[in-house]
Amino acid sequence: MLAAVVLPSELGAAGLENAAAQFERWVRDYRPGAEMEHGYGFTRLRSKPPAPAPAYLRQLGELRLTGDIESDRAAVEAALAQADVTALPQAPDGRHVASDLLAFYFRSSAANDLCYRAHIGRDECRGLPGSDREPTRLEAK
Amino acid sequence: MTRRFESDVCIIGGGITAAMLAQKLRDLRPGLSIIVVEAGQTFFNLDSRMQLRERSIRYAENPWPGDFIADQAARGVISRTMAVGGSALHWGGTCNRFSEEDLRLKSMYGLHVDWPIEWPELEKFYCEAERRLGVSGEPSPLAEDRRSEPYPMPAMVMTHNLIELKRWAEQSGIPFWSTPQAKNTQPYDGRAQCIRCNTCAICPTGARYSPDFTFQRLLAGKNFTLHDRTLVRKLVLDDTRPVVGAAQAVNRDAPDDTIEYHAPLFVLASGYCWSPHLLLLSKCSRFPDGLANRSGLVGRYMCGHAFLSAQIESDAKIYPGMNEQHGLISRLYFRCKADAPFIRHDLRIWESAAGHEPRLRSAGGRLLLGDALLADWRERAKRGTARVRGYYDVHPDRDSRLTLDDASRNRWGDPMPSIEHKADAASEARRAFTHQHFQQLFQKLAQAGNGKILSTGAGNYWDHPAGGCRMGSDPAASVCDSYGQTHDHENLFVAGSPTLPNAGCTNGTLTFVALTLRSAERIAQRFRRPA
Repeated sequence: MLAAVVLPSELGAAGLENAAAQFERWVRDYRPGAEMEHGYGFTRLRSKPPAPAPAYLRQLGELRLTGDIESDRAAVEAALAQADVTALPQAPDGRHVASDLLAFYFRSSAANDLCYRAHIGRDECRGLPGSDREPTRLEAK
Repeated sequence: MTRRFESDVCIIGGGITAAMLAQKLRDLRPGLSIIVVEAGQTFFNLDSRMQLRERSIRYAENPWPGDFIADQAARGVISRTMAVGGSALHWGGTCNRFSEEDLRLKSMYGLHVDWPIEWPELEKFYCEAERRLGVSGEPSPLAEDRRSEPYPMPAMVMTHNLIELKRWAEQSGIPFWSTPQAKNTQPYDGRAQCIRCNTCAICPTGARYSPDFTFQRLLAGKNFTLHDRTLVRKLVLDDTRPVVGAAQAVNRDAPDDTIEYHAPLFVLASGYCWSPHLLLLSKCSRFPDGLANRSGLVGRYMCGHAFLSAQIESDAKIYPGMNEQHGLISRLYFRCKADAPFIRHDLRIWESAAGHEPRLRSAGGRLLLGDALLADWRERAKRGTARVRGYYDVHPDRDSRLTLDDASRNRWGDPMPSIEHKADAASEARRAFTHQHFQQLFQKLAQAGNGKILSTGAGNYWDHPAGGCRMGSDPAASVCDSYGQTHDHENLFVAGSPTLPNAGCTNGTLTFVALTLRSAERIAQRFRRPA
C-alpha cells in the first residue's frame, strides 16, 4: 500500500509490486557494519549503519495505511514531516520507510528510464555499439 | 626472528608505478630477480567484481573492501587506498598527456622551474605508456599536440549525450574531443572490450587497465616476488658507503618478526605521500634529516592542480546515465602566450543530471509523491546539463610540504605524514585573474548554446598530487635526477609521481607512468644484459 502512495501509478499494479519486492530484497540483503566507500579528495572511513528493518516495521505500523489513497497520502505526509524529511535522500538513510522507498525507487536506474521514457540502463553493462544514438523509447503503459 | 630476502631490485610500493617498472625491467632484463613490497593487501578478484559493483551501486559499500590500513593514515591525502594496485585499482582511467609548457615554465614564462628532460624524450615514453596501459583515444586537432605514434586503440564511442554536448560546446568556438582513457574499445592485451558499465572505479570486466593484471602476469613468470601486507618502515644505509643496504619491514600477519630486504638497487614506488615519508622516517646519524635529503627538499614542493567547475544547463537533449565515465576535453588553454597574463588549464565536459534530479518538494515547497514527483522531474528534465571543469596550473611553494606528524602514529609507533599544499607567490597573485577567466569561460559556453550557469564551484584540495622528491640537475635544488636516481645514494631511485616538480594542468597518471618507464631503462643499464 505504501508503494501505491509514493511511487508513480504509471508503473501499474505489477510494476508497483515489483518495486516493493525489490525494496524488500534490498532491506533483506542490507549488511550492517559493511565498509562504505572512503571517498576521494576528502576521505573518511565509515561503515553502514544498523539495519533499518526494525524501524521500518514500526513506522509501517504507525502509518496505519488503509488503501484509501487520500488518507494514506495524508498519513505519509505527516510521517515525513515528523521525521523531518525535507528532501529526497540520495539513498535510503533509515530516517523513514516512506522516504527510503522514495529514494530507493526514484534514484534508481529504472526510474531514470521512466522519467526520460527511454532505455538508458544507467546501472547496466550495455556494450558500446549503438551508444552514439539516442536510447530507444520506452513503450508508454 | 628476522627474515631476510634478497633480490636484484627491491621495489617498495605496489601501485601502477611498481607494476610498470617491474614489467619493463622484466622485459629488458629477464634474468633480474625483482621483489615488490606492498603494505596493503592483494585484490586478484576479477571474478567477484561484478558482485562488488552491485553492492557498491545498491548500498554504497566499498567496492574494494579492505583496501586501506586503518592506522596508516596521512593528513591531506586524497585517497586512503593502500593495496596491490594502489589508487589505480579504482582509477577512472584518464590518460591525458602534459604539454611541453609544463616542462619549460622557467624558460618560457620565468615561473617555477624547468624539468631536466626534453619534451621529445618524454613524448617517446608517453607512447610506450599508452601501449603498455592500453589507451584508447582520439588525436588532438591542435598542431602543438602532435604525436609520434597513433593511440593503440580507437577512441571510446561518444555517446549520444557527448555528441550533443560537443555540438553545444563548440558553438563557443572552443574545440572539444574525446578524452583518452586506459579502457579497451576492443579486446587488448588479453583483456576484454569495455561494455559500458558506468562504474569504472570498479570495472567488472577488466576493460579498464588495472595494475593487478600486470602483477598476476609477472607472478606467472620467473624471478618475480610480491610481498603484500608488508610495510617497509625504514631504509638502512650500508655501514661504510652512502648506499642503501637494506629495507626493514614488518608483515601484518607476523608482526613480531622483522623482515629485511637486501638488494643492490632499491626503488621507491610508493607515490607522492609514502615515498618522501619513508625517506624522512629513514633518518640516521649520517643523514639526520632523512635519506636522500642533503638538499633539504624531501617532502617539499608538494604539487597538484587546483580546479574550478560549473554545472551549465542548455537545450542539449541529454539522457543522464549513458556513460558518465567518459567525457570531452579541450587542450586549447594548455598554451599561454609569454607576453599575456599566465593561465593554463584543461577544459572538460561530462554529461550531468544536476538541476534535473528528482526532488521531494516543488519550487513552491509542495510535497511531491508518486505521480506528482515524476511529473515535476519530467518537466525539469527537458533541458540537459553539462558538468564543466578546468584543472589549472598552480606551482608549489617550497613550503608546500609533507612533514612527520608526531601526534599521529601507526601501530608501530612511526609518525604519520601530514601534507599541506601551498601555492607559490606568483600562483597566489594570479588567483583572482584565474577565477575571472573561468567565470568568463563558463559564461561563454553557456551563452553559446542558450545555456544558463546553474552553479559554480572551486575545488578545496589539489587534485592529482605529486612531488616531494622533485627531479632536477642541481643536487642542491632537487632530490633526484631526471631518471629518479637520488643525488645522495647511487643505488636508490624514486619513481613516478614524487619526482614531478609541478603537476601540470591535467590528470597525471600517464606522466607518472612515462617517467617510470624512462627510469626503468636507466635502472636496467645497471645490470648486465642477458647473454
